[in-house]
Amino acid sequence: MVFTVPVWMGRARLSRRAALAGVAGAGAAVALGGCWPAKDNPAARPTPHPLTPVVAGTLALIGRCQGTIAAYDDLGTRLQPLLKEHQTHLDALRRAMGTPSSSASATASASAPPSVAPDQAGALAALHAAEQAGQAEAAAACLAAAPDYAALLGSIAACRATHVEVLT
Amino acid sequence: MSAATDALSAALAAEHAAIFGCGVIGPRLSGAALTQGQQAEAAHRDRRDRLIVRLTKVGIAAPAALPAYALPFPVTDLGSAQRLAVQLEERTAAIWRVALGPTTGDDRKVALDALTDCALRAARWRRATGEQPGTVPLP
Repeated sequence: MVFTVPVWMGRARLSRRAALAGVAGAGAAVALGGCWPAKDNPAARPTPHPLTPVVAGTLALIGRCQGTIAAYDDLGTRLQPLLKEHQTHLDALRRAMGTPSSSASATASASAPPSVAPDQAGALAALHAAEQAGQAEAAAACLAAAPDYAALLGSIAACRATHVEVLT
Repeated sequence: MSAATDALSAALAAEHAAIFGCGVIGPRLSGAALTQGQQAEAAHRDRRDRLIVRLTKVGIAAPAALPAYALPFPVTDLGSAQRLAVQLEERTAAIWRVALGPTTGDDRKVALDALTDCALRAARWRRATGEQPGTVPLP
């Protein structure tokens, strides 16, 4: 137990500064612990959150949209709305998970940016395939989800289906 | 009645309303838009029939269609018909979305397919009015 160490060391002539640091550290740990709802306590729930794979898939789609827009300026008008919708999904997923959300920082930092095809048609085809796979992934997650998450996952799947059609 | 069959009954009521709306929209459409409208009406009728069978099978009285439904605005031309078509699909999608939570297994699959179809049709109607790309984040 970490918090008991400074107290025990106190007997061994612990400096005042070190003792205070220990107390402050304990306070910070308690405060951070208070940020987690009891049911999301990592200690009480060692398995990853059921929405984690969908968050990863959403980050990958955001990365692919951003990469394609960066490589082909003239696709921006067409792809920016799709990118924004994926960022909305990310925010909604993080809210549902009870974790802080910020679409502004929603870059594809979780995974390496995907390589974009050297021709525009190829890049669009890759994005189309990624949206299609994303739709299937969200649909499967919706069908397997607890009741609380089914509606959000279903909406994400339906939205990705509309993206597939826009890119067809 | 369970939460699942309650949600399916609500979806059936929404499909009845959608079919009524398609009947209002149809006379204002022509060409490709008319085909789009006819396909939408056929899809809503198909969902309605399947829901009636699903509910009747477990002894639940399927809600009947009302004789008429209040329209959110008058439909007088192609533009207002397309706007109603968008609203009708959005509202039906919303009811199917709600049905995802209380349902499981095959019922949830039916609800997800219906939500996806409504979202696709709403996006097509929006594009028909010139809205690009016509998609929404959480249909």
